[in-house]
Amino acid sequence: MGSLRVSASRDSCVTSSLCVYRLPQVFDQDAEGRVVVVDEEPPDELRRELLRARRGCPTRSIRVEGPGVGDDEDGGGAQ
Amino acid sequence: MSSSCPVGYPLPWAPAPDIPESWTTLREQPLLEIKLPSGEPAFLVTWYKDVRRLFADERLSRNTFGRASRVSASNDLFGDPNIDNDPPRYLTERAVVMRAFSARRIEALREVVRRIVEELLDAMEAGPRPAELMEAFAYPLPILVICHMLGVPPQDRPKFRRLIDGFLSVTRLPVDEVEECRRQYWDYLTELIDSKRAEPGDDLISELIEISREDPARLTDYQLQHWVKTLLIAGYVTTASQLGTSMAVLLHRPEATAELKADLSLVPSAVEELLRYQMMGTSLGTLRYAVEDIELLDGTTVIPKGSTVLLSQESNMDSEEFDDPLTLDIRRTDNHHLTFGAGIHFCAGAALARMELQEATEALLRRFPGLRLAVPGEELKRPVGGFLAGYAEIPVSW
Ligand code: HEM
Ligand code: SF4
Repeated sequence: MGSLRVSASRDSCVTSSLCVYRLPQVFDQDAEGRVVVVDEEPPDELRRELLRARRGCPTRSIRVEGPGVGDDEDGGGAQ
Repeated sequence: MSSSCPVGYPLPWAPAPDIPESWTTLREQPLLEIKLPSGEPAFLVTWYKDVRRLFADERLSRNTFGRASRVSASNDLFGDPNIDNDPPRYLTERAVVMRAFSARRIEALREVVRRIVEELLDAMEAGPRPAELMEAFAYPLPILVICHMLGVPPQDRPKFRRLIDGFLSVTRLPVDEVEECRRQYWDYLTELIDSKRAEPGDDLISELIEISREDPARLTDYQLQHWVKTLLIAGYVTTASQLGTSMAVLLHRPEATAELKADLSLVPSAVEELLRYQMMGTSLGTLRYAVEDIELLDGTTVIPKGSTVLLSQESNMDSEEFDDPLTLDIRRTDNHHLTFGAGIHFCAGAALARMELQEATEALLRRFPGLRLAVPGEELKRPVGGFLAGYAEIPVSW
């Protein structure tokens, strides 16, 4: 637990809402519809979905860091 | 650059609701020379990875009016010299509107959508068979939803549909008729917005009026009207075409239909796959102007400065990104299709469209277990001379 770290850029978020639908336990939106990370250290079992969320973000506004998580936009082997 | 003859665009469709196999080999040329319906030249970027990257590249400007090749020789379509579509100005303006499209706000509409779906399907069930899916369901659903969201009186439907239909002509209407529709549509919106100013309601137009009143620098009156104009068009035309083609593609494949009917929890991934497999659109909506030379990922091809570029929706069939791209796989995961674009112009209504498509697909299959195309898929007719492809009519029985 706690090995993954998630952050997101509110400034570049375009309110696609994709991450919120994919992982509501991690991503939310403020009143203007911009991304807010509600769990910055989500459990490891969400790794795969987090990488998908990162890959799916239309403005590459999501960062996922942690052991074994590549930082290329292809999501370090999300399959 | 190859000196081969430019390819006519839109690319020809397959006769049935299938994707032409030739789309999977488009990537052999990362930059394809094409000829737009206007006869003017442009380039189609074909690699998924390039397309995705270039959607977010500021060297491709969406201020195309007056400098890029035109889609249509008789219609400026969405080109408007009074609107700056590039950052930084555009971002402030778009952000004002996007508050209405957060997941929370879209989910709050889901019950409204369900109710409209049930009412339309009640009427379809009681009506004659075969029914014509576009007019019985695919058009009225997103029209009633966007009317509800914006606060447009539903009885205005015939009026704005006729005008929007003219507004979206690519080759169907002569220039003066297009212009007449454009003018009447704009006047219609002026009246509508004035009536909301006088009598605000619980709707998005009234909300935007309030924001622009508080801080005109964020949204001018003209920008407000421009957004309402775009939202009303984009809000139903695309969703209706997509809903129609989604059902045509699905029903043309009885095994996929049966698989989905047997497990309706697959509806969200099926809707996504049908979006990837979309046949309602072309890449004409992604017209851009290159303000600089831009190198592509193959390391040799360059988009020349000053050229007109389409970012291909056809790259949803790029085999480097999607396994077995021509197969409709309603369980596909990692389906990061580009049907809603990407970057700062990512479709504003994507979450709304998705939600409508999910509710519509689920209800159709639940209520009409025997739903099928009433004519062979090869005989479905496409509309002629408009902005979107889709199908003109989809006769269905059950
Ligand atoms: C299945 C249905 C839909 C599809 C396939 C679709 C597709 C697209 C695409 C590809 C773009 C990007 C164009 C570009 O990059 O230049 C776009 C932009 C846009 N869409 Fe959609 N759309 C759909 C439904 C909707 C709905 C329901 C709405 C509104 C309620 C909407 C509103 C918009 C707006 C306002 C833009 C311009 C956004 C911008 O430039 O920042 N769309 N759409
Ligand atoms: S996926 Fe990206 S653009 Fe969409 S809401 Fe999340 S952070 Fe914003």
